Amino acid sequence: MSQAADAHDAPTSTGIDHKKLIMWLFLASDCMFFGTLISTHLLYRKLYPTGFTDAEGHQHFIQNLFNIELTSFSTFILLMSSFLMALAVSAMHKGEIKSFRRNVLGVIFFGLIFLGCQVFEFTHFYHQGLTIQNSVLGSTFYVLTGTHGTHVAIGVLWLVLLYFYSFTGKLGGHMGALDVEVAGLYWHFVDIVWIIIFTAVYLVEYLGPSGIWGSGLPVITK
Amino acid sequence: MSEAAPSQDFLAEEVRRYHHFITLALWLAAITGAEIVLIFLPIPPMAVLTVLSLMSAGKFFAVILWFMHLIYDKKLLFWLFLTGLLLAFATFAAMIALFGVERIDTKWFA
Repeated sequence: MSQAADAHDAPTSTGIDHKKLIMWLFLASDCMFFGTLISTHLLYRKLYPTGFTDAEGHQHFIQNLFNIELTSFSTFILLMSSFLMALAVSAMHKGEIKSFRRNVLGVIFFGLIFLGCQVFEFTHFYHQGLTIQNSVLGSTFYVLTGTHGTHVAIGVLWLVLLYFYSFTGKLGGHMGALDVEVAGLYWHFVDIVWIIIFTAVYLVEYLGPSGIWGSGLPVITK
Repeated sequence: MSEAAPSQDFLAEEVRRYHHFITLALWLAAITGAEIVLIFLPIPPMAVLTVLSLMSAGKFFAVILWFMHLIYDKKLLFWLFLTGLLLAFATFAAMIALFGVERIDTKWFA
């Protein structure tokens, strides 16, 4: 692996800065957290294949509820925000603070668009009758995507703080670049989790005429 | 702590990475577009699911290797993250095995 740009090893026993090591440990643990949430959603999706029942007792199919155009748009936005974050980290390594600010502003903007799309989606689903309480699908879907959305919101807040902190003149040199890199790692992680959610939760609903969940247990009707 | 100016080698490496990032961003956009097209093609669902899974895994590892610098960083970080990832996948596999439809007592639903 090329380490030409990593001009020097950190003065630690591992040669890795402690902040970076701790962030990677956190991300590894967060992997398990999201792994459990995604598994739970998929399992219950299989057990309850026909979707949910609204307050009036009407049966709904989730395939009719999803808006693939909106979700694809927000996925694209999050991927591009990850690209801008990589540029922001690169700019900090080169000591180009203005370039860093421009790119971070772009990441914040894209992050806010993603959150806006999610709020719109949740509102739409709620008005269509899917709530966190009325079905297992609603519970697992909102908990999974809501947890991811909370991660995005925390990331946006973190980047806003970094942006304003950069005007104090204290965000410079190796330690400043490390702070930005750690924030970048978090942001990229949020992106990779969405890559999995996009496929496992959204795209699979469109496979075949009634999705791939057609052979689950029958839904109990009162 | 004294801060030395970035060396020429360091800057050259950053420029090289910059081009990698642009190439990767274009690939990620293209793969995402292909995923969306794929779900509407008249192909057996399980085949599409397999391809979608491979595409997602490709995007996932591309981001962690290049955007998250794992390909440039110490290998320890890669193994550290992979451990968490494998545990997550093992949890997924265990849940599927333990709580799959075939293992549920359907009489409970009657």
